[in-house]
Amino acid sequence: MENQDEIPVEPETESSTFISAYEDDDWSNYKDSDVMLQQSAIWEEDAAKSPFVGDKEPLSSLEAEYKSGSPILLEKIKVLSEHYAAIRRTRGDGNCFFRSFMFSYLEHLLESQDVAEVERIKRNVEKCRKTLQGLGYADFTFEDFFALFIEQLESVITGNEAPISHDELVVRSRDQSVSDYVVMFFRFVTSGEIRKRSEFFEPFIFGLANSTVEQFCKTSVEPMGEESDHVHITALSDALGVPIRVVYLDRSSCDSGGVSVNHHDFVPACDEVDKASTSSSGSETNPFIVLLYRPGHYDILYRK
Amino acid sequence: MSTPARKRLMRDFKRLQQDPPAGISGAPQDNNIMLWNAVIFGPDDSPWDGGTFKLALQYSEDYPNKAPTVRFVSRMFHPNIYADGSICLDILQNQWSPIYDVAAILTSIQSLLCDPNPNSPANSEAARAFSENKREYNRRVREIVEQSWNAD
Repeated sequence: MENQDEIPVEPETESSTFISAYEDDDWSNYKDSDVMLQQSAIWEEDAAKSPFVGDKEPLSSLEAEYKSGSPILLEKIKVLSEHYAAIRRTRGDGNCFFRSFMFSYLEHLLESQDVAEVERIKRNVEKCRKTLQGLGYADFTFEDFFALFIEQLESVITGNEAPISHDELVVRSRDQSVSDYVVMFFRFVTSGEIRKRSEFFEPFIFGLANSTVEQFCKTSVEPMGEESDHVHITALSDALGVPIRVVYLDRSSCDSGGVSVNHHDFVPACDEVDKASTSSSGSETNPFIVLLYRPGHYDILYRK
Repeated sequence: MSTPARKRLMRDFKRLQQDPPAGISGAPQDNNIMLWNAVIFGPDDSPWDGGTFKLALQYSEDYPNKAPTVRFVSRMFHPNIYADGSICLDILQNQWSPIYDVAAILTSIQSLLCDPNPNSPANSEAARAFSENKREYNRRVREIVEQSWNAD
């Protein structure tokens, strides 16, 4: 899905199965599940090369990646390096936004030991739980995912005991039984927020996917591996009350000649946020979560 | 041994017992909660009416992050069901999500019976009959319904 040039097999396989199944009965021996098994084998092989969450790398590693590439991108990376020192890559498996958010958020808590923030987000998590219940989700389908997220919060800010080490946070983020559960927790929260405020999200979803809110949540939010877009980011940021900055690295350039790097701040619209500090024109928000977006993929950025 | 997958399956089972949706039933095998047997009743007012179709659901320790493998044990004639009983249904493949419990899976399969997806044919003969010769299609389905009463 993400990094499309790395998995050229997928579209061809699908369409040929589709057409041939009508024409040639032999093709019915090749089941969707076989095709998907093969596809996921290709993905897993590919994914094994990179962990869910990578090591922190200096921004120069990004520059090296585009050495012989577009001059606009190299120019932008130079601009980027004035404000950002490092990048942490995440696996391009369709969950990169949620995975980046997870690591970035937990790492921030671990380093800041911001007890008030943990209390605040726990209140929002409880609201999200009520939202899902109100929407008719059965508790047992989501409670494990909620519990695991709370467990992660409590391991980075422990109160009396020492919190987990930074290395342990990295290990957990690479452990599928933790990492995928937290990603799924975010997917539940995102879906719940979109469904709860369906009137607000409807036009964005229609523009993005030409589908109903219900279809969109079912096919593009709740299944693992479905990529995120601004709708997901807005919903997650609103639901948890956490601002997110997304820095865009693409080939677009402005007419004025000078190269600049655009960013967009997703600022929670919910009542929990201190309106005075976010909406007054004078003070800028400064989200502690900064993600680098390159078309189709999100990674984590570190400020200087 | 109680793993997250097994604990979740216990809750799936409890929910299915307390609040069973119409026209489906299912239970884990006595000694193995990872392997379920289920029955779907053909929906009323459809050619499937009266049929009792048996299925097997195999769960892995990756549940609920991965879908179970679901297969019809009864013989079927349906555009999205393969000769070996496996089912072409998005939520069992790339659209899987942990929100689907056993009841939701079986309910989705039940509605697939009357509402085939012609874009992903698994049985080309059934797909062709469904789109080109509804009478023949309905006749073949009625045959399958009758067979479902006799099979073990």
